[in-house]
Amino acid sequence: MKWKKLMVLLCSAAMVCSLAACGSGKDGDSAGGQSAAEAAGDEGGAAPAESGDGTTITFLTNAVGNKADALRAACEAFEEETGYTVDFQVPGEGYEELMKTKMAANELPDVFTTHGWSVARYSDYLMTVNDLEWAADISDQIRPVITDKDGNMFVLPVDMDIAGIICNMTVLEEAGVDPDGIQTWDDFAAACDKIKAAGKTPIHLGGKDNWTIGQYFDWAAPSFYITNEAKSHADELKGGTFDTAVWEEVSGMLADWVAAGYFNEDVLTADYNSDIQALAQADAAFAFYGNGGIVDTLGVNPDADMGMIPVPAVSADDKPSLISGEDIAVGVWKDSKVKAEATELLNYLARPDVLKGLAEAAGNKAGLNGVSADVGKIGEYYDKYADVEAFPYFDREYLPSGMWDVMCSTGADILAQKDGAVENAAKTMEQNFNDKYVAE
Amino acid sequence: MKKRAGIMNLFYVPAIVLFSVFVLYPLMKGIFLSFTNWNGYSQTYKMVGINNYIRMLDDQNVHRAFLNTIIYGVGSTVLQNLLGLALALFLNQKFRGRSLTRTIVYLPVMLAPLIMGYIMYFFFSFNNGAMNDLIGIFGRAPVDWLADGRRGVFILTMVNTLQFVGISMVLYLAGLQGIPDMYYEAAAIDGVKPGQEFRYITLPLLMPAISSSVTINLIGGLKLFDIIMALTSGGPGYDTHSLSTLVRRTYFGSENAGYASAIGLVSFVLIMVLSNIVVKCLEKKEVDL
Repeated sequence: MKWKKLMVLLCSAAMVCSLAACGSGKDGDSAGGQSAAEAAGDEGGAAPAESGDGTTITFLTNAVGNKADALRAACEAFEEETGYTVDFQVPGEGYEELMKTKMAANELPDVFTTHGWSVARYSDYLMTVNDLEWAADISDQIRPVITDKDGNMFVLPVDMDIAGIICNMTVLEEAGVDPDGIQTWDDFAAACDKIKAAGKTPIHLGGKDNWTIGQYFDWAAPSFYITNEAKSHADELKGGTFDTAVWEEVSGMLADWVAAGYFNEDVLTADYNSDIQALAQADAAFAFYGNGGIVDTLGVNPDADMGMIPVPAVSADDKPSLISGEDIAVGVWKDSKVKAEATELLNYLARPDVLKGLAEAAGNKAGLNGVSADVGKIGEYYDKYADVEAFPYFDREYLPSGMWDVMCSTGADILAQKDGAVENAAKTMEQNFNDKYVAE
Repeated sequence: MKKRAGIMNLFYVPAIVLFSVFVLYPLMKGIFLSFTNWNGYSQTYKMVGINNYIRMLDDQNVHRAFLNTIIYGVGSTVLQNLLGLALALFLNQKFRGRSLTRTIVYLPVMLAPLIMGYIMYFFFSFNNGAMNDLIGIFGRAPVDWLADGRRGVFILTMVNTLQFVGISMVLYLAGLQGIPDMYYEAAAIDGVKPGQEFRYITLPLLMPAISSSVTINLIGGLKLFDIIMALTSGGPGYDTHSLSTLVRRTYFGSENAGYASAIGLVSFVLIMVLSNIVVKCLEKKEVDL
């Protein structure tokens, strides 16, 4: 009987211990989007685990496709050179949610990409890179974007996302539109009229994906709020005041375009892929995407004559502009247990030969001076618009974190031509701005 | 005897621990978060009292998601059970190809809802969608089926029904095969008509199956998630969101984890109350064989 009791107790204790072990996995719930093997490898979250004799560095990225392949290849080369193991993970669409879960648990990967948020969202979790050797070489075009108010930088900007409105030049030519003549939004609307008359879709937007709608606001809003120095609202926004009248203008322009029939008929249910298909097949003229959109379009149709134009100004007293932001930007978690090794990886990625390959895979200019990436056709446009002033992504620079989704959802109502959608968009934006600004 | 009972009680421990770790703790944490303004990732937050619950009263997106959730739950349940019962009655007859037909009806159940949603997205797409190809045969112009929120909710309900009608069918088939033939034989001797036979024998004796099927379908419909994400992502705007998908969007997209927790709790209460009411009503009607 005593043996039976002992067995019962031992069995119960074993089960309870195993359950407790399950519950204590630091990142057990954040392995979504990874393979089982990857998740198993990530046991204990970002805390590095010894693998054989080497050190394991966990590297998470939002990059997919060409960019992810190039990063993976660079990590493999780093492994060969150093003997370390890099646990390279690409969660895909779930990246942002995964990172938020990891931030909540304060257990981040040793190295990760910051997808435009190195300062506003991730700076509390990242090691500063000001003292690293390559920091002095960071391009002046990207430096302000990745620097906080105290002058600290937190990432290696592998490349720079310098974007305008991407377009299919064949469609513009057939419709008799001179891309260089598009200086203001009125010029842009006139061009859309010509394209529509030629039987093509002026602007293709895949609204099912939601983020595609937010792109419009990120592209259009700076011209209303920021680029015209005489009418700039930059200080107001930074100081916590959101001007709804201006947002009604931004939203109103979108509503006008919908009413004028500039968008594809399935604007609410099409997705990003259909935008790329339409551009690749010369069915549509414009799309509000960065140069990644050009790379993707050329992937579908290498013969497509793709190009870009700067974002038009609101009126003739202002000039067209470009949008600038992080693309592949890599940082090191400040509390990483392998911070020295992770920094080595960062330095390796900053090597000119490695950085050049990564920037070329992204189709963007390199983020460090002295590194010249061959980005093919897009390079012509970089040269052409070298003197055009670039402004940061609107939501990342001037809105509190969490506003992106509000821009997307209110924009969807405008695309659906709902009653009062424009006024409601401005009101909702203001309400959320105030809530989130105070919260920060 | 007491000692034996004490030892036996130890066997509850794993279940209690499991329940506490995976149900009780998250629930308590969720309730707590619903009184905060946590953004879902920062290390700090403020207590905001019942503000999140008050905010829900004025939030049109929550109201719409609440209504949609009821439609997904109740609509799917009604359709799945009517169709499932009809299919079970039909497939309970003996005919060639019966097994194949049963398999075809059950097949969508084995698909992940996300896959089903993506398949249906291509079915209802504006460009090259199967539905538009079909109506094109009759000379009709293509329709953007999912662009209208109300139609989107109807389509989502139908897709959910189509996917899970097989479960109802199987439950009803099992129920039908459990009814002893003697009841029907006695009814035949008494000259009972087929309609009366169904009403007074089949239906009452199927009550346990109806009870199970309705409860499973109702809970499944009320927490509909994957199909919505694949087919409409909750759009256009917020028009086809259920409470489940709204929680995700509010938590991760809008970075309002506290508010999302409050919506999640309301969703939890809704499912609990509705399913309990239905179970109680059906239990009363169940007939012991």
